[in-house]
Amino acid sequence: MKKALSAAATFFTGLFCLTAATLADDGVGKPVDGGITFQGSVTETMDRITDFHDGILMPIITVITIFVLGLIGYVMFRFREKANPTPSKTTHNIFIEVVWTVVPIVILVIIGIPSFRLLYFQDVVPEADMVIQATGNQWYWTYEYIGEDGLMYDSTMVPSAYWDKGNESDLAEAKAGIQRMIGNNKDFEMQRLLETDTRVVVPVDTTVKLIVTASDVLHAWTIPSFGIKIDAVPGRANETWFKAREVGTYYGQCSELCGPYHAFMPIAVEVVSKADYQQWLARAKTIYASNSQPANSRLAVAQ
Amino acid sequence: MAGAVNHDYHLLEPSRWPFVGSVSAFIMALGAVFWMHDTPFMNFVFFAGFAGVLYTFYGWWSDVVMEAERGDHTPTVQIGLRYGMILFIASEVMFFVAWFWAYFDAALAPKAQEMGEWMMNGPAGAGYGVWPPEGIETFDPWHIPFVNTLILLLSGTTVTWAHHALLEGDRDGLKKGLWLTVILGATFSGFQVFEYAVAPFGFAGSIYSASFYMATGFHGFHVFVGTLFLLVCLIRAYKGHFTTEQHFGFEAAAWYWHFVDVVWLFLFVSIYWWGQ
Amino acid sequence: MADTIATNADHHEEHPTGWVRWVYSTNHKDIGTLYLIFAVFAGLVGGFFSFLMRWELAEPGVQVLTALTGDNADAAYHLFNVLVTAHGLIMVFFMVMPAMIGGFGNWFVPIMIGAPDMAFPRMNNVSFWLLPPAFMLLFLSMFVEGPAGFNGVGGGWTMYAPLSTKGAPGPAVDLAILSLHVAGASSILGAVNFITTIFNMRAPGMTLHKMPLFAWAVLITAFLLLLSLPVLAGAITMLLTDRNFGTAFFDPAGGGDPILFQHLFWFFGHPEVYILILPGFGIVSHIISTFSRKPIFGYLGMVYAMVAIGFIGFIVWAHHMYTVGLDVDVKAYFVAATMVIAVPTGVKIFSWIATMWGGSIRFTTPMLFSIGFIALFTIGGVTGVVLSNAGADQAMHDTYYVVAHFHYVLSLGAVFAIFAGFYYWIGKMSGRQYPELWGKIHFWVMFIGVNLIFFPQHFLGLQGMPRRYVDYPDQYEYYNYISSVGALITLLSVVIFMFVVWRTLRAGEKCPDNPWGEGATTLEWTLSSPPPFHQFNDLPRIK
Ligand code: HEA
Ligand code: HEA
Ligand code: CUA
Ligand SMILES: [Cu+2]
Repeated sequence: MKKALSAAATFFTGLFCLTAATLADDGVGKPVDGGITFQGSVTETMDRITDFHDGILMPIITVITIFVLGLIGYVMFRFREKANPTPSKTTHNIFIEVVWTVVPIVILVIIGIPSFRLLYFQDVVPEADMVIQATGNQWYWTYEYIGEDGLMYDSTMVPSAYWDKGNESDLAEAKAGIQRMIGNNKDFEMQRLLETDTRVVVPVDTTVKLIVTASDVLHAWTIPSFGIKIDAVPGRANETWFKAREVGTYYGQCSELCGPYHAFMPIAVEVVSKADYQQWLARAKTIYASNSQPANSRLAVAQ
Repeated sequence: MAGAVNHDYHLLEPSRWPFVGSVSAFIMALGAVFWMHDTPFMNFVFFAGFAGVLYTFYGWWSDVVMEAERGDHTPTVQIGLRYGMILFIASEVMFFVAWFWAYFDAALAPKAQEMGEWMMNGPAGAGYGVWPPEGIETFDPWHIPFVNTLILLLSGTTVTWAHHALLEGDRDGLKKGLWLTVILGATFSGFQVFEYAVAPFGFAGSIYSASFYMATGFHGFHVFVGTLFLLVCLIRAYKGHFTTEQHFGFEAAAWYWHFVDVVWLFLFVSIYWWGQ
Repeated sequence: MADTIATNADHHEEHPTGWVRWVYSTNHKDIGTLYLIFAVFAGLVGGFFSFLMRWELAEPGVQVLTALTGDNADAAYHLFNVLVTAHGLIMVFFMVMPAMIGGFGNWFVPIMIGAPDMAFPRMNNVSFWLLPPAFMLLFLSMFVEGPAGFNGVGGGWTMYAPLSTKGAPGPAVDLAILSLHVAGASSILGAVNFITTIFNMRAPGMTLHKMPLFAWAVLITAFLLLLSLPVLAGAITMLLTDRNFGTAFFDPAGGGDPILFQHLFWFFGHPEVYILILPGFGIVSHIISTFSRKPIFGYLGMVYAMVAIGFIGFIVWAHHMYTVGLDVDVKAYFVAATMVIAVPTGVKIFSWIATMWGGSIRFTTPMLFSIGFIALFTIGGVTGVVLSNAGADQAMHDTYYVVAHFHYVLSLGAVFAIFAGFYYWIGKMSGRQYPELWGKIHFWVMFIGVNLIFFPQHFLGLQGMPRRYVDYPDQYEYYNYISSVGALITLLSVVIFMFVVWRTLRAGEKCPDNPWGEGATTLEWTLSSPPPFHQFNDLPRIK
């Protein structure tokens, strides 16, 4: 019995170590099969979150957990009835009690300092090069490029049913639509439940301020690889920012329960070179000038 | 183990009130929900449940009074009752904390009335309006609200008068003090109803009216309950209940009344006066 | 079950029998038993819902729930949210709280402090009897309209506005709200009762500083209930009036604020999570001490650690709201305050281990559950500390990392403590001892099952899988599948537990007054098993 318990303990601490050890998953912008750590980072914010978690939090909690489980294992073995038939009657030891109060405090201070640094780095929005407003709706996002002549469009999930057998043509069509929208023909694999008909297109190495709000109920806008997540609240304008350093596609999913289709209003950001962005912007303005919304962009989510 | 009971605690016979009360509460809740959604006849269901709840209160507390008169409430048990009442009032205080929280959340950082407004003004730092919101004409605190404040403060003294009379065995003074308190309480409620009737703003649609009516309304409800509680004490006084040593029922009513009084002072100062 | 427990009649006095004994009860032990039966029932319902959820999540796509909705995928999406909501609410309000406070609290707090019953025995019964109606209201809500066109409440156990106001106009949400009102009233009355009992009815010599830790735990829990539940009552009353009477508390169009609801909810919600765990701390303390045959190490430290946890629990609520757009300094405050809780909790963990240190440990089933509790609660606790860092929480909020965190403290913490208490006290309560071998089998199957469910969820969370999702991108399949296999194993453990209950009550060995030997020092072990209908007609004297 006891052996089995300590074996189980070892197993789980092993798992913990494993997590700490395999820091380098290469899922950037989307999850990877069987991945066990953060998605890869393309912003300084996410770099810092990753460093903080993988470099400070994870090792500390792993050590604490191993320490506690180790102590339990030791005590269970050393002081089992057979090994120690007469129990001691100790009930106090001021020294040890002070130690186990003070040491955790010290550990928390060690965690706290970088934690505050990270927090203030994330939350203080730097001078922005451009501003996008994201509005959550049941169940799609509306993006408005502030100061770009009312450039505004909706972004709706590509229906999951397109991945079903027999719907290959729908899927191909949806993909072509996305390629048209972002204005390049780069090939990519369509991601079920992550893909949207239009994407947020932004230039690389540019500080983008994001204003997030909602029109009906709460939603939350997030891109794991950027390290940002911010609630979309009706009547409030929340702000956050990101500065992506690599061209690519980055996905996120609505992260605040918003009704039956909560799982079906993902977010896709296309980071392009600055030159491509200018081209895209010029073209997008003609297509998506306010109120000339293409009707199909509000694809019914229902399949 | 068995045999004579050698302690002062109050062990009770089985009682049907908890069960009857729960069933009634269930019926009342069910009726309330579907009445609010305009399902036919559900108002009757609600009132049936409500009647059951009232019946339970009546029956239950009649039993308590009977037990008190019978002498079950030993000094030890009375201490327990005191704890119970204090704790109950503490929970009531926390209930009002929620309403004050809503009020201050809105008053200290008023949001704009129209969703569109902040969008037009641009988002950064926008969305903050004024308090009280534009278009809300508030009450002059120095009219009815102030009169009501005086009424409640006065009723606090009359209930204390009744208490002292009781302690000195002056049954007449007890009744007079209670009569006055009940009348003052009823007057307060009357003024409050009048105020609602002439209020320049309605119930629905704005955070001001929401927090105003719900906070003062719940207070008003507590005044009503407190008045009933005192009325019951008055009736019991006529029936010859309460002795100079044992009259916890009366004290509980008085505590409750003071609590209601204090809540009003906070309402008066923060909503009527500061939030003018 | 009733019959087995009814054998304790004391023949010198008239005692109520039959249904009157249970329905009109004013006896703390009978009411405790009612609570426990109710909790087991609710646990099975809440567990059933979670197994349905895990079954659905075993693979990407929506395939299981559609079977229940006549192939209507939209209805299945909503049904999933309804299950999540009901699961959360049932487990929290109708399983853990009734089991720990209503069940074990009622049974053992009066006995441990040397009192013949609770302070307000009749009110005690209404605390119990309000629960079945509350449960029925919640259950009914699943069958009436919530959001237009869908049945049931799908807003999560947190019921955030405006999804619970504008987003779900049907009566289902109102039923759930009133269910919580009723359950809340039950708990507030219970809290008043426990505090009064503990303050006013301790036996001569039973000073507060001699009082058993379980009684302390329930005392502090009762204070948390008393002070936090009324705020929830206010919050859900605002929901109710916003929904039905046009107030604008949470409606920005009228100047209201959806975030206000979250503040009010979590002002209740965070103390609530300690309400769920503190009694467990108490139970585990007794068991560890009993089976180590050693008194509790650092008793005073244990007491004041709980007091500290209870107190700090009231000033950390916004750590659930790091992403709603709070001011950065506000967040910084909540980070600091939240992390502080790790200190008193650490004191408890280490004091338990120190209690075992030098002891003479017997690995009975309750002891296994208690040791399991300490180990797994620690894991859940340290992930809580990770989440408390607002900066990192930005990556984890509303992902499965949070789900993993709180199941480690709840499903592997609180529930382990409940099972530990069940095995520890079932002999005392029913007069019949559980079968040791089957108890141990139950423990091991459950230990493996729940770890398998929830450990991989950390990985899913780090990878970004959001919670409350009926369907997920295919990359998350691997660990979801493992998690669901774990749920299957846990289902097996629940079946084993039911078997143990049945075996114990039908054919359990007679339990002596004190089956655990000299380590068991609290007053319940001085009474017969089961105890007489009224204990302590002569009050015990504590030296
Ligand atoms: C029993 C219930 C319970 C308990 C005890 C806890 C305990 C803690 N919880 Fe948890 N929590 C929940 C139930 C619980 N929680 C639930 C239900 C939710 C989700 C609600 C929802 O959204 O639906 C939640 C969510 C939640 C969040 C929000 C996450 C999010 O939504 O983004 C946070 C953030 O701070 C948090 C933190 C903590 C902390 C710091 C503790 C601490 O109390 C833990 C302290 C314990 C230890 C740290 C371990 C032992 C200590 C030592 C061995 C000493 C040494 C340790 C150190 C120095 C670190 N919890
Ligand atoms: C105490 C609380 C508790 C417990 C025990 C559990 C137990 C389980 N939970 Fe749950 N869970 C929550 C509280 C709890 N949960 C909450 C609050 C949420 C959030 C809801 C929301 O998002 O709104 C949640 C959400 C939640 C999710 C996330 C859903 C989502 O976000 O999409 C999942 C998914 O796997 C899950 C699964 C499970 C499973 C498989 C179990 C299994 O461990 C279940 C196995 C069954 C048992 C362990 C019960 C056995 C107990 C008894 C039979 C009673 C015994 C009584 C006595 C002896 C007196 N739960
Ligand atoms: Cu939008 Cu969830
Ligand atoms: Cu919390």
